[in-house]
Amino acid sequence: MDRNKIGKWLKSPGKMGQKYSLHALYFCTGCGIIEIPPTITARWDAERFGVIPVATPRQANLFLITGYVSVKTLRYIIRSYEQMPEPKFTVGFGSCPINGGMYWDSYNTIKHLDKYIPIDGWIAGCMPRPEAVFIAVTHLWTLIDKGMANGYKKYRDNYQYYRKNQEQVLGKLEWPPLFSIKN
Amino acid sequence: MVVTILEIILTIFLAGIIGLFFLGLSRKVMARMHWRYGPPITQPLIDIIKLFNQTNISHGVLFNFGIIFSLAGSIVVLLFIPLGKICPLSSSGGLLVILYLMLIGPLGLALSAGEASNPNASIGISRKFLLAMSYEIPLLLILLTVMTHYKTISIVEIVNTQLQTGWSFKYLPLIFSGIAYILILPAILGVRPFEMVQAPQEISSGPLAEYSGKYLALVTIQHAFNVFIGISLFTNLFLGGAENPGYLFLKMLGVFIIILLVNAVFPRFRIEQAIGYLWKLPTLLAFIGLIVVLVT
Repeated sequence: MDRNKIGKWLKSPGKMGQKYSLHALYFCTGCGIIEIPPTITARWDAERFGVIPVATPRQANLFLITGYVSVKTLRYIIRSYEQMPEPKFTVGFGSCPINGGMYWDSYNTIKHLDKYIPIDGWIAGCMPRPEAVFIAVTHLWTLIDKGMANGYKKYRDNYQYYRKNQEQVLGKLEWPPLFSIKN
Repeated sequence: MVVTILEIILTIFLAGIIGLFFLGLSRKVMARMHWRYGPPITQPLIDIIKLFNQTNISHGVLFNFGIIFSLAGSIVVLLFIPLGKICPLSSSGGLLVILYLMLIGPLGLALSAGEASNPNASIGISRKFLLAMSYEIPLLLILLTVMTHYKTISIVEIVNTQLQTGWSFKYLPLIFSGIAYILILPAILGVRPFEMVQAPQEISSGPLAEYSGKYLALVTIQHAFNVFIGISLFTNLFLGGAENPGYLFLKMLGVFIIILLVNAVFPRFRIEQAIGYLWKLPTLLAFIGLIVVLVT
């Protein structure tokens, strides 16, 4: 942890700020809600890493999606993601957002979340232990340092692809495109 | 002239540093009381640096204007409160001006949050104004008592008198008012028993629901100034002020730790419970204090 190195702060304040002040928006879909309270409270204390939960997507820059994603939830995940200010980082938590998990043949869940919004990192497991959130956060720090946590840039560049996938599942979307679609 | 400008800059700078330190300290102390390690004490500063490096989502002209208005109101109140010997605008106004200007902070925030037209923000604003209405009445009575007792509206004179006679909190005429101020101080600062304005769990941080980027950073800075104003007013009026900023800071730290202990222990009031509380005990005490001052 290089939080106390003043030279780094002076060199790239934006990057260091994004690293050590991750305001997390927890999107607890079904499972995973039980792993989050121990993470943020006295047992595992996420606040010492600068990770605190916030209540609205406007204030957040870390998006944690825990558990399976049904088609109905996907609509609100996309809306929450698009409301977050850039730079924003997304982490899928549990095996269901990765490849469907135990819901792989369900008719109303989606299988690959990264087709619909860009994901910067995954935490595998069903369910992962709360410590896995911290492993994810430290990995995310490395990615931010190397400039590889660029999901929001990918979303901007390939918006047409993501929008097409979203419309395939949800039908016509009632909100206008976030970025202009190049034809 | 140059000295005044330098003093203004120094006051704003010191107040910002002390306010942000208090915000960080509150998070650290709360964490230690939960038996957690807690964030570093500079965490609010880190948050502000991050927020200035984000994209900013504005919701209209009034949204931007309201934040500036609120921040400017807080800064102006700041200049009327003596910080040790540093008090740039002490010769004009005094307590009366502070009374008028203290409402500008919440007003500006309401103006700007209303422009965002989020339903949670509207609930938060209505709670904020109800809370302001309920703590302003005891605050008015307290300030009236202090002004009547010292027969002046200038805080600098009050501080100078206390340097000779000792803390006014210790002696009979003003002890009721001092206790009443301590009882309403959590409501002025917006900490836990009176945290219903920004209740993140029920109305998703209320007026701040639509703030992001530099707007949230400015609101955080305004909150830091607000914390500084509430505590330093108490310290100057009842704990004898101080001759230099360092000593004033130590006194403020003591008051703030007491407020933090209250913050750590109590759950959140509902808004009508808060009004009921603020209009009963603190108002009664402030009223008794006024009568005692008038009789003696």
